[in-house]
Amino acid sequence: MAKSRLSRILSRVVDIKTGEERIALLLFSYFFLITAPFTIIKAVRDQSYLDGPGVQNLPYAYATALLLGFVVSLHSKMQARISRQGLISFSLAFFIGTSFLFFLLLPNAGNWLPIVYYMWANVFAVVIMTQFWMVMNDIFNPREAKRLIGFFGSGGILGGIAGGVATWRLAKPDEEHELLILVLVLLVACTFVVRAIFIWQKKAQGTISFSAPKSGSSAMGTEQAGFKVCFDTVRKDNYLKLLAAVVILTQIVSTFIDVQSKSYINQNPGMKANLASFFGLFQAGLLVFSFFFQILMTSNLVKRFGIRLPLMIYPAILLLFSLGIFVAPGIVLAILIKGSDKSLSYSVNQSARELLYVPVAPEKKYKAKAFIDMFLNRFSKTAGAMILLVIFYLTNPKNPNIKVVSVVSACFLLAWILLNLKVSKEYVSTVKEKLGREWERGDRIVDRAMDVETAKLVFDTLESKNRSSDLYAMHLYDLLKKDKLTPEIKKLIGYESDEIRVASLGVLMEAEESPWTVHEDEELPAEVLQKEIQEIMELESYQHLIKDYADKVIPGKGPDSETAKMELAKAISLMDPRSPLAASLDDLIKDESPAVSRYAMEAAAKFKAREHVPLLIRKLADPLTREDARAALEKYGSKIIGMLGDYLEDPAEPPAVREAVTSVLAGIGSPDVAELLLQALAGGQEELQSDLIDALDKIRSRTPNLPVSVEAVRMLIVKEVVHYTHEKKPSAVINIFKLLGLVYSHEDIFRAYQNIRVRTKDSVAYALELLDYTLDKEMRDLIFPVLEDFTAVNKTV
Amino acid sequence: MVINKREKNSVVIFDIEGEIKRSDITDVTLHQLVKDQLESGKKHILLNFEKVEFIDSFGVGEILASYISTHNLGGKLKLARISKKLFLVFQVTMLTKVLDIVEDEETALQGFFKD
Repeated sequence: MAKSRLSRILSRVVDIKTGEERIALLLFSYFFLITAPFTIIKAVRDQSYLDGPGVQNLPYAYATALLLGFVVSLHSKMQARISRQGLISFSLAFFIGTSFLFFLLLPNAGNWLPIVYYMWANVFAVVIMTQFWMVMNDIFNPREAKRLIGFFGSGGILGGIAGGVATWRLAKPDEEHELLILVLVLLVACTFVVRAIFIWQKKAQGTISFSAPKSGSSAMGTEQAGFKVCFDTVRKDNYLKLLAAVVILTQIVSTFIDVQSKSYINQNPGMKANLASFFGLFQAGLLVFSFFFQILMTSNLVKRFGIRLPLMIYPAILLLFSLGIFVAPGIVLAILIKGSDKSLSYSVNQSARELLYVPVAPEKKYKAKAFIDMFLNRFSKTAGAMILLVIFYLTNPKNPNIKVVSVVSACFLLAWILLNLKVSKEYVSTVKEKLGREWERGDRIVDRAMDVETAKLVFDTLESKNRSSDLYAMHLYDLLKKDKLTPEIKKLIGYESDEIRVASLGVLMEAEESPWTVHEDEELPAEVLQKEIQEIMELESYQHLIKDYADKVIPGKGPDSETAKMELAKAISLMDPRSPLAASLDDLIKDESPAVSRYAMEAAAKFKAREHVPLLIRKLADPLTREDARAALEKYGSKIIGMLGDYLEDPAEPPAVREAVTSVLAGIGSPDVAELLLQALAGGQEELQSDLIDALDKIRSRTPNLPVSVEAVRMLIVKEVVHYTHEKKPSAVINIFKLLGLVYSHEDIFRAYQNIRVRTKDSVAYALELLDYTLDKEMRDLIFPVLEDFTAVNKTV
Repeated sequence: MVINKREKNSVVIFDIEGEIKRSDITDVTLHQLVKDQLESGKKHILLNFEKVEFIDSFGVGEILASYISTHNLGGKLKLARISKKLFLVFQVTMLTKVLDIVEDEETALQGFFKD
């Protein structure tokens, strides 16, 4: 589809996809129209408070944040009862009305109204900003959010700049309240943008999230979310508790920094003359920096480094400046630390923090955000205020020691950095939880659920009932030897109640046939029977007898001869490996009857004599004997790896044989086998590529700690990427994932693969997000273009 | 043994007639037929056992190999209309723990899309 003009313009500054232009611009505008008035509100707040109650009473202003608990509770109740659009519209209307009220009342305020105004400004920040981020979370999944957050986040920064510049230019000494008319106008404009967003939402996604909920339920279909429910949601979830802890530390440090900077600003005569104007200019300046940082750096940082580095930048820089203020306190460092605090907070930190919420389940997310962003955010300021009051009390309440505040701030910043490390690790775990394991390897399911060998023996026993009583008896004996003749199987074998004439191992004893019927209540003397038969078989005379019999039977042709040879092969399999009759196995394996060769191969597998291996490998070529030959060869185990490897690497061998050899090697599955298979792959066996990779995957799924050469695997992945790029073969994608599973967590890689196959928008997004964090940078750069092409619309596997 | 293929609602149905034994295979094996369908992009395979009288260990191997190949590609394989006797054998040998065995074709077809 040709890109629109708007899309082409926007794609110069942001990674935007077709269809996203309108909503991205609307969110950009929304954020602009809430941060511009907030900047003005803050400047008026700070001036009116510093002119009124003063710096030394700032902790009391911070402490009023505690009262926000009631606001959060009210907001949660309203969130549960009315639609998102209704809630936002009501909130905007409330702030428009109260802005006008403060415009009227502030000029004649005593010392009490600035405190009320301070609280109102806090409520504005909490409610309006949280509602914006809720809308963002509703609309975008993690991949989209990562791409676009820099863009509409910068709308907020531009709004702050605009609000700051307006304040700087328009604020007059002692008439700062007049700026509230501008606040009112901006909020009215915001209501129109919000309306347009919800109209877009309805068109794009229906009314799933935004229709009015039924009474008693929330807009997300969950229970009514009061304060306690929101609190419990956070309390019971370790990941959310970590996010909450980060917010607490962030806000506590922010109060320290606020006091540090305002102390030095208030002491500066030039700034003190028109504080609102200064704060406006200051805000605009730091937001210019934030804007360029956001639009040029934030998305790139997040895309390139994931969440970890963006989360670390903010506290690391503040730590540096805090220590700086301790060493060389002054107005410059005070402005730098405040500037860093706000600019990085608005840009990279805010974006990274919001991304941390994206993988949280929707029903938890809104409750958690209501609690964390609206209550805990402000409660933490109160906690910071309490700590400051203690510091002021211990130093000098009338002239607090700001250096001590710097030291305490540094300690909290260190804790914050450590916490961020833990959070970024937990983020990946939370993303993984969104990805179910859709299916497991079929061979693993079979191996776990049943005993294939016994199942096949039971079927052969039943089949032999109609063919040969001797063969039938030998199968029964085999089941007995293996301790598999369970009551259920006995019952099954005796299912047809016809009397069966079983020649009680007659071929061994040369005795007259005697009837022997298996009844379900008959107790077979297992140990005695085994011992007797074993002794008979070990007799030299017995061996000679059977050898003569074999010499007569083996050259024979026809159905009767086939049955006789099957009986012979089965009997040999019951003998000791040192029996001279083992020499007859070659002829029996080579027999044209697949049934005869099957029993002979079974015997060979028990004896594990190397001389039979080439014949067994030959039998891999025939589809009728392939599975039996494979099973027999697998039983040889590691001792024939070298021999199998020779066949694998010999291009003169038929492809079917080499494929089956690969399967045998996968069944043996030792680390030596993995090495052999990798060498075969590196040797360029194109026709066996998928089979070899599948064999490696099978081994890896059983052996999580399988050692493989990472470099060798990387080169193979490069080859598959080239295959996909040139031929667009879906099998190349499957092969890439199987190879990735050799060097990264097999479980994680396969969750990602299966969720990409599931193909819902969110399953693909979370899968790519997991891969983003699991793979190293080189691997990401290599395969992500393939995956993004593969997961584009209309691709099928 | 004779195997006929048909398709219904994007499910490939193999109608198997006779006994699935190694001595009765003349042309292509069941597993190969299933693999061919998987390679052409089909994911839902139904084996109709209505006219299957008996199977031997080779037949068990073919069914299991077909199951594994289908499952590893994220597909589904079901068996329908197997005789009571054969079902009993499947139960005793625990094949029912792995294979999805249904009463009739309609149930199987609905099951593919419900899954």
